[in-house]
Amino acid sequence: MKKLVLALVAMLFVSGCATNPKEPAPEKVILIAHDSFAISDLSIAEFEQQTGFGLEIIRAGDAGSLTNRLVLTKASPIADVVFGIDNTFRGIADQNGIIDGNLIEVDFSDVCFNYDRIWFEDRGQSPPVSWRELINPEFQGLTVVTNPQTSSPGLAFLATTVAAFGEDGFESYWKSLAANGVKVAAGWEEAYFTEFSGSSGKGKYPIVLSYCSSPAAEIREDGRSQTVALLDEGFRQTEYVGSLLGAKNPLGAKALIAYLLSESFQNTMPGLMYVYPVNKAAVIPPEWAEFGPAARSTIGADLDLEAGRQIWQAKWSAIFE
Amino acid sequence: MNKKILWALPLTFIAVLFYWPIARITALGLSGDWLATLGTSKNLNLIWFTLWQAGLSTIITLVIAIPGAYVLYRKSFPGRLVIRALITVPFVLPSIVVAVGFTVFRNTHDFWIDIGLTFLSSPVYWIIAAHVFVNYSIAVRTIGGVWANMDAETEQAAELDGAGRLRTVFSISLPQLRPAIFSAAALVFLFSATSFGIVLVLGGGQVQTIETAIYFAATQFLDLEGAAALVVVQTLITGVAFLVGSSLAKGTVGLEQVFEASPKPRVDSRDLPAAVVTGSVVAGLVAMPMILVVFQAFRVGSGFGLQNFANLSTRGARDLLNISVVEAAGNSLRNMAVAAIIAFLLGTVISWLLVRTKHKVLDLVFLIPLGVSSVVLGFGFLISFDATWFALRSSWLIVPLAQALIALPLVIRLVYPALVAIGKEPIEQASIDGASPWQIWRFVEVGMIKAVLLTAFSYAAIISIGEFGASSFLAYGSQGTVPTLLFRLIARPGEQNYGMAMAISAILIIFSFLVVYLTSLQARTSRQSASA
Repeated sequence: MKKLVLALVAMLFVSGCATNPKEPAPEKVILIAHDSFAISDLSIAEFEQQTGFGLEIIRAGDAGSLTNRLVLTKASPIADVVFGIDNTFRGIADQNGIIDGNLIEVDFSDVCFNYDRIWFEDRGQSPPVSWRELINPEFQGLTVVTNPQTSSPGLAFLATTVAAFGEDGFESYWKSLAANGVKVAAGWEEAYFTEFSGSSGKGKYPIVLSYCSSPAAEIREDGRSQTVALLDEGFRQTEYVGSLLGAKNPLGAKALIAYLLSESFQNTMPGLMYVYPVNKAAVIPPEWAEFGPAARSTIGADLDLEAGRQIWQAKWSAIFE
Repeated sequence: MNKKILWALPLTFIAVLFYWPIARITALGLSGDWLATLGTSKNLNLIWFTLWQAGLSTIITLVIAIPGAYVLYRKSFPGRLVIRALITVPFVLPSIVVAVGFTVFRNTHDFWIDIGLTFLSSPVYWIIAAHVFVNYSIAVRTIGGVWANMDAETEQAAELDGAGRLRTVFSISLPQLRPAIFSAAALVFLFSATSFGIVLVLGGGQVQTIETAIYFAATQFLDLEGAAALVVVQTLITGVAFLVGSSLAKGTVGLEQVFEASPKPRVDSRDLPAAVVTGSVVAGLVAMPMILVVFQAFRVGSGFGLQNFANLSTRGARDLLNISVVEAAGNSLRNMAVAAIIAFLLGTVISWLLVRTKHKVLDLVFLIPLGVSSVVLGFGFLISFDATWFALRSSWLIVPLAQALIALPLVIRLVYPALVAIGKEPIEQASIDGASPWQIWRFVEVGMIKAVLLTAFSYAAIISIGEFGASSFLAYGSQGTVPTLLFRLIARPGEQNYGMAMAISAILIIFSFLVVYLTSLQARTSRQSASA
C-alpha cells in the first residue's frame, strides 16, 4: 500500500512539473484585462515579432473585479499592463495609485437599450423609442437589465438615470421599473446571450440593456439586423490602458501599450470587442455605420461617479433586494 | 531536546501561515467602526440568514439521515455497499461540482414552477437542497457507524415485549445515539454555515451568506474593513458551533471506516417506512443531480457525443479561460501533491508530539484552524503576504500552502486519536527491547495505524482538489485550478462553456464514485482476510 501511495505521489509530481515548462525564451510582458477582452492570434504574433516580447494574457472578471484585484495586489503587481479599467472605475484606480503615469484612452462604447425588432413586428406592437418609456404598462415584463453592483453596463445605466432624474428622483424611476417586472441579470453576458430574445440564446425578454454597437452583430441572412438600438441618452463608457506601478517589465509595458493604440490593433477592435477605436486612422467596418453607430446623444459625462457610486448602489439594492 | 526542535517546525508553520494572517484581518476588522458596520440591517439580515439556512439544512439532514443510517448500517440487503458508496460521493465532490449539479437539477423543474410551485424558483430552496445533498452522507455515516455496533439485545427485548419499531427507535436507540447525532449536527451546521461555492453559484449574487458577502465585499466593493468585520463574526459562529458540537458529542466520533463486528439482519416488512424514505432520498436527491450532469455531459446539440470532452483542451467560447482545463488539471494535481504531503507530514508529526506532550494549549493551537473558513484564509493570505521581501502571494506555492493549512486540522483529528488508541504498552515494550523512538514509530506505530494514515492522506488530497474558497482569491491567470475554471465556465452563458462545465463535473463524479466504491470493497476484503 505504501508503494502505491509513493508511486501516486511521484506520478503527480511528474505531471505537475510537466505542465509548467521553463519560461519561454523571450522576455514576457503580462497583460491583465477584463473577460470581454479579445485579441486575434495574428495580432499576438505581430506584437511578438515587432517587439521581441512574449505576450501573456490574464482575464480577471469584469471591469470592477479587475480594478479591485489590482488594488488588492498593488504591492507586488500581477501584471505589467492593464486593459479595460473604464470611466466608472477610474476613480478607484486613481485613488489607490496603481497606475504608473496616466491611464490612456483606448476605446469607447455607448451603453443603451436594444430591442428585438422581429419580436415586436410579429406581434404588431410598437417598440420603445426611449428608455424612459420602459416603465409604461405596454412594456411590462419585457425588459432585462444588469445588476449595477456586479456589471459595468448596469452601473452605467444606473448613472444614466441619476443624470436624467437627479439624486432625488432616480429611485422613483427604478421603483416603477421594478413594478413593471424588469428582470435583473448578474452580468451583461447572461442578460444578452441568455435572457434576450434577439441574440443566440433566444431568451424570453425582447428588450435588453446592451451597447449601441450590438445590432451590428445580429445581422441576419436578409442583410438586416434583428435588433435595434435606442440611440438617445446613452452613457459613454471609455476604456483605458495603463502600465502598472511596480511592473516587472516596464519596457515591455511601454511597447504593449503602443501596440494596443496602433492602427493595426485598433482596426480589429470593432470586430472582436464591439467597441469604437480611439485611433482616428483606424477603419470602422461599413455595417457599423448602418447598424452600430455611436449614440446620438449621451448623458452623465459630468457625474462624479466616485462620490456617488456607493450611495446609488445602496439605494438601488434597497429597491431590489 | 529533540522534541523541541520537532515542535519548532509545525509551530512556525502555523504561526506564520495561520495566526499572522488571521491577526491581520482581525486588526483590520476591528480598526473601523465595526459595531456600526455589523449593526446595519443588511448585515444583521445576512448573519440571520446564514444561521437560519445552516440550522434548517442541519435539521432536514438529520431527519432523513436517521432512517438512512438505520437501513444502511443496521440492516443488510443486496446492493448495500453500492448505495453507501453512492451517498458518500457528494461528500468528496468539490463543492463547485455540487453547485453545477444543482444548477442542472433546478433547470429540470421549470414545469413544476409553471404549474404553481413557485418556491422552486427560489435560490434559497436549492441552496438548502444542495447542503442536504452534501451532508446526508456525513450524517448517515456518523450515526450509522455507532448504530452498526450498538448492542441489539435491548432493542430485541423491547420488541419481544411488544414495542413497535418506531417506539423502540425513539425510546431505546435514539438516546444511545445522542452523541453521534450531536456530532453529526455540529459537522453539518459547520459545513452549511461556511459553504461558499454552493451559495455563490446557486444564490447568483442575490442570496448571500456571510461567506459570500466577505468575498463580494473584498473583491467587488473593495470594502476591506467591512469584509474583515464579517470575518470576525463568521469565525465566532464557527468557533462556537465547533465547541458546542464537540462538547455535546463527548469524545470523537470520526469519519473513519466503520468496523462492523456482527452480521446484520435482513430488511423486513416492518422496515418499510424507513426503506421508503431512504430509497426516495437516495434516488431523488442524491442520485438524480449526478445522473443529470453525466447525461448533459454527453449531450451535443440535440444528439449525443464526446464534443464537450474534446473541448476541455480549449479555453472555452471567446477564449474566456486563461488556460485550458487540461492545464488547470495539471495545476490542481500539482497543488494536491504539495498540499497533501505537507498536511500529512506536519499533521502526523504534530499528532506524534501531542501524544507525548499532552499539552492542552498546544492541542488547541492546532485545533483552532478547523473553525476558520477557506474564504477567510484566502482573504487573509491575499492581504498578508504582499510585502516585497516576502512576496509569497506571487508564487504558485501560496495555493497549496493554504490548502495544506485547511487540511491540517483534519489530519490531526484522524491521526491523533488513532495514536492515543494504541496505548502505552506496545511502545513501552518496544522501548524496553531497545528500539529507538524512530524504530518504534516506523515499525510499531505506523504498522498499527496504517489504514488511518492512508485515510488522512486521502482526505488531505480530496480537500486540496475540491478547495475553492481560498483559490478564488489566490489562483488566477495561469495558476487557475479545476474548481476556479469550473466556476468561470458555469457563471458564463454559452453552449460550449456549459458543455465543458458538464464534462468536467461528470468526470469528477464518476471518478469519485469509483474511488469510494473500490476503497470500500478493499477495506472489506482486507478486514475479512485479517479476521480469517
